[in-house]
Amino acid sequence: MASIDTDVRDEGIALEPAPRAAHAAVGARTHFRRFTAFQRWVHFFIMISFSILVLTGMPLKYSDKAWAQTWMGFIGGVENAGMIHRFAAMIMVTCVICMLGFFLTVLIRTRGHFWGPGTMVPTRQDYRDLRAMVGWFIGRTPKPNLQLDRYAYYEKGEFWAASAGVSIMCITGAILWYPEVAAQYLPGIVINFALVNHSGGALLAMGFVVVFWHFFHAHLRPETFPMDKAMYAGGLPLEEYVHERPVEYERLVREGKLDDVLVAPVSDRRMKIQNIVWWVITGAALFLWAVFCIFVIWVTYNWLISF
Amino acid sequence: MRPRTAVLVLLGAFCVLLAAAGPAAAITFTIPTGKSDRCLACHSKPDLGTVNVNGVEKSLTISEDTWHSSMHSRLDCTACHAGFEAREHTATETQGWYRQAKLTACSDCHSSEFKMYDQSFHGNLVMNEGSTKAPACGDCHGSHGIIDPASQEFRATIPDVCGRCHGEKSATYLDTYHGKSVALGDMSRAVCTDCHGYHKILPKSDPNSSVNARNIVATCGKCHDNANTNFSSFMVHVDRSTPHSSLWVWLMEMNHAILIAVLFTLGGLHCFLYFYRGLKEGLYRRG
Repeated sequence: MASIDTDVRDEGIALEPAPRAAHAAVGARTHFRRFTAFQRWVHFFIMISFSILVLTGMPLKYSDKAWAQTWMGFIGGVENAGMIHRFAAMIMVTCVICMLGFFLTVLIRTRGHFWGPGTMVPTRQDYRDLRAMVGWFIGRTPKPNLQLDRYAYYEKGEFWAASAGVSIMCITGAILWYPEVAAQYLPGIVINFALVNHSGGALLAMGFVVVFWHFFHAHLRPETFPMDKAMYAGGLPLEEYVHERPVEYERLVREGKLDDVLVAPVSDRRMKIQNIVWWVITGAALFLWAVFCIFVIWVTYNWLISF
Repeated sequence: MRPRTAVLVLLGAFCVLLAAAGPAAAITFTIPTGKSDRCLACHSKPDLGTVNVNGVEKSLTISEDTWHSSMHSRLDCTACHAGFEAREHTATETQGWYRQAKLTACSDCHSSEFKMYDQSFHGNLVMNEGSTKAPACGDCHGSHGIIDPASQEFRATIPDVCGRCHGEKSATYLDTYHGKSVALGDMSRAVCTDCHGYHKILPKSDPNSSVNARNIVATCGKCHDNANTNFSSFMVHVDRSTPHSSLWVWLMEMNHAILIAVLFTLGGLHCFLYFYRGLKEGLYRRG
């Protein structure tokens, strides 16, 4: 599967000389385009719609709690919250459809991309990376210098967890939106199942995918703290990229495709505006993360003391 | 006849009708009013009490605010407490009244409601089987502080009122979208009585019950257009915490509990240790 990656790792190819030469060759285009505009917009809309879905959905899950009743009153009652929730759900479903279309295009255009180098599918190397990290976590080995391809193991894990989650939430959400229609084809117990899964899936999506996984790895990791700029700026300096994803870089150089993914950095004036936007979004995200974190700890605590 | 004359004639006829209807209404409306102050002279004292035949202490205090805010505050006390005199009441008076009051005090005015109640499961227990636990009128509606049963305030109390006896039913109801919405203040969603009825509540096994298999589709159909048998087989009163209620629902709930426990622990550890090591090795310090 990922034989090329393994070769690079095993031979320990030096990464130093390449960047400067590449710079000289491409002139002003000194940044690596990590995400296309399409990907960044999809991410933006998923971020917004996910937050709205959580804020309008969670009070219903915890309807017996005083904070839920206060918050529900603040956002205008169940009827209003339901409308906002469904509107946000439509945004997210649109994003999901766009992404499926994108995957299909990639699959058709570059056959083998899904399974070859830079794949999103977990490989043996991901398992080795995870073991090396765990060794560092428990203090047995020094911090490994992961030789990452396009996606790290924690990004792959999050992608598949989120994919599974969004599928369940879409299906169960549709059943709960139109229970009468669902009952034309399915037995009534399916509505019970949908309730349990929508409610449990919501907590999993919020607690595991967002609080523990995404927020930490995209914001609070020492390498990215306080935020990975690639998702809003699109590109990041080539020097940084070489260190973060050496295997993908090597592969692109070898295949002569580096030129295709180099972009010029945005102008200083645009960077200033982008930085303001960046700090606003990061501030809001970190605030929301703190709220979610407290919430998840509270839920876990209540769950533990219920025994 | 000119139009103006016609209007005058009609107006005149209307006045005559009003004049005749006024006294007629006064004659039929004979419930005495305004005398409750005499009773409250004693019964508003905060420490008024007695020991009943079973040896249980019982307060006889009626809060004036509660009474004046009740729907019946224009009635005289004796409209319900029939036969009581404005003096210290004798034991025969009180005991004789109490035995009958539960059954008949309300039926004088609310006969049609009482007839429905009489045919209900609750009514049968109280009237025919002498049950002291099954609810009579006052157990759901209250007594001195009675409020309009069509009001939103009364509607909001229904899950609690039914829950006093049917605790686990109201708990499972509060776990559904109906119950959650009501708990969050949206009174337009179904409460107990919307499905089970109120005065004439019958057990599910009774073919005339609104939740009997014969009628349940129509009951759901009151709100849900296109409700069918599948839709009505949705389990409202399912307790997610036990396999005895619905095995499949419980298994799904357990599946989530395990997933949440395992993934939160592993994810939390991965983040925490990453953070801790990073902090310890000074990786967050940047030049």
